Amino acid sequence: MTAMIEMKNVQKLFGPHHVLKDINLSAERGKVLVIIGPSGSGKSTLLRCMNLLEMPTEGSLTVGDIRMEFHDGNKPKRDQVLTLRRQTGMVFQSYNLFPHMTVLANVMEAQVIVLKRSIEEARKRATELLRKVGLADKANAYPSQLSGGQQQRVGIARAMAVDPKVLLFDEPTSALDPELVGEVLKVIQELAAEGMTMVIVTHEMKFASQVADKVIMVDEGCIIAEGTPEEIIQNPAHERVRSFLSRITER
Amino acid sequence: MMSDRTERLIDIFIHSFMPLLQAGVKFTVPLTLISFALGLIVAFITALARLSSLKPLSWIAWFYVWIIRGTPLLVQLFIIFYGLPSLGVTLTPFPAAVIGFTLSVGAYGSEIIRAAIGSIPAGQWEAAYSLGMTRGQALRRIILPQATTVSLPPLFNSFISLIKDTSLAATITVTELFQKGQQITAAVYEPLLLYIEVALIYLLFSTVLSGLQSWLERRYGRHNVRAGGRIS
Repeated sequence: MTAMIEMKNVQKLFGPHHVLKDINLSAERGKVLVIIGPSGSGKSTLLRCMNLLEMPTEGSLTVGDIRMEFHDGNKPKRDQVLTLRRQTGMVFQSYNLFPHMTVLANVMEAQVIVLKRSIEEARKRATELLRKVGLADKANAYPSQLSGGQQQRVGIARAMAVDPKVLLFDEPTSALDPELVGEVLKVIQELAAEGMTMVIVTHEMKFASQVADKVIMVDEGCIIAEGTPEEIIQNPAHERVRSFLSRITER
Repeated sequence: MMSDRTERLIDIFIHSFMPLLQAGVKFTVPLTLISFALGLIVAFITALARLSSLKPLSWIAWFYVWIIRGTPLLVQLFIIFYGLPSLGVTLTPFPAAVIGFTLSVGAYGSEIIRAAIGSIPAGQWEAAYSLGMTRGQALRRIILPQATTVSLPPLFNSFISLIKDTSLAATITVTELFQKGQQITAAVYEPLLLYIEVALIYLLFSTVLSGLQSWLERRYGRHNVRAGGRIS
């Protein structure tokens, strides 16, 4: 198996706070990596280090064919940062759609501005993606006119539009009303079935066990357990994993 | 029967209206439009400089805003028109006024634009970056269009203030609306009537601007008005 994302000895400090401590992980091509952990454990920071929305303080990061080394105080090269980001797409907890653009324009924007595709080409691809997430009929609506679940599906289409090698999901259903969670998870599951490489931070344990090829549990900035969903979620060996899971499922 | 007094007032009003309006159209309006247009450019550049990661650039911008906001506009106009000639820079009244008002709009406007850019949620920058956009692309395509909607009302406040502030140009001998009013008053000695008339013409101009503001807000604000209450 080849790794799409690889992190070696990654550290992240926010001032005196040691948020990530010596992280080593890999996300395999065509597989789904799910990251779980209590809030404040550093799992979102870990995900955001993968597309450099947060810069690791130390360590190395490989995404696709780009490898970058980080040392305290060294500013990474802008071109490298952009090239690395262009191999990834991200779906945010709060969607972060562009409110001044229609749904279609949201999905076209980066294709035209970043990938320099023609307007027709971008529109064709955007329409295709909107159909895929079941929102072809909302192409001309504005984000504020959509439900949370619909907005998040547009968020997925927007992230897919730049043909990323890997999709990163930062708690994609945490801001949704419970009855809207299903429609978003369904889209993610379809992508998984198609062989899309994905890294997903989530609190949805049932979904995680269904979709994940590998699960990582993060606590206090460290990876404390790693394995298949069966090993981590269904039959957790580690005490901290067990107590975390029981707290989550009590809700 | 109208009294002689009333008749005289009506007569003065009618005969002074066109010269006053002309002074407004010939000086007040161009002075306002030119200064505001140039001021917006200065404001935009200054706001970007303030937000720049290049420290010296941001200090220069801060210094400029500090000086202009911290000193009276009237004093600034006097320095430009009466003071600069001793340094060999002699300006005619109109350009001197344009420079003074441009600097003022630039300083106040830059704070409005800076605040508007800052009011756009960080998630918008992050979404743009996550799609591979550069800082410039994110600013131009994602942040500024939204910041424009946010900054329209305060910028129009500045615009409307400016049209009234141009009356200060009278003190550096620009024969704009207020100066013209003073001249006619000196001749006919009806200050109450003349200055009310001057005020009415300013009111006319600023009402036109308010109308323009409503139109622009309807045109550019419609999506965000609906989303206005939404956080995150």
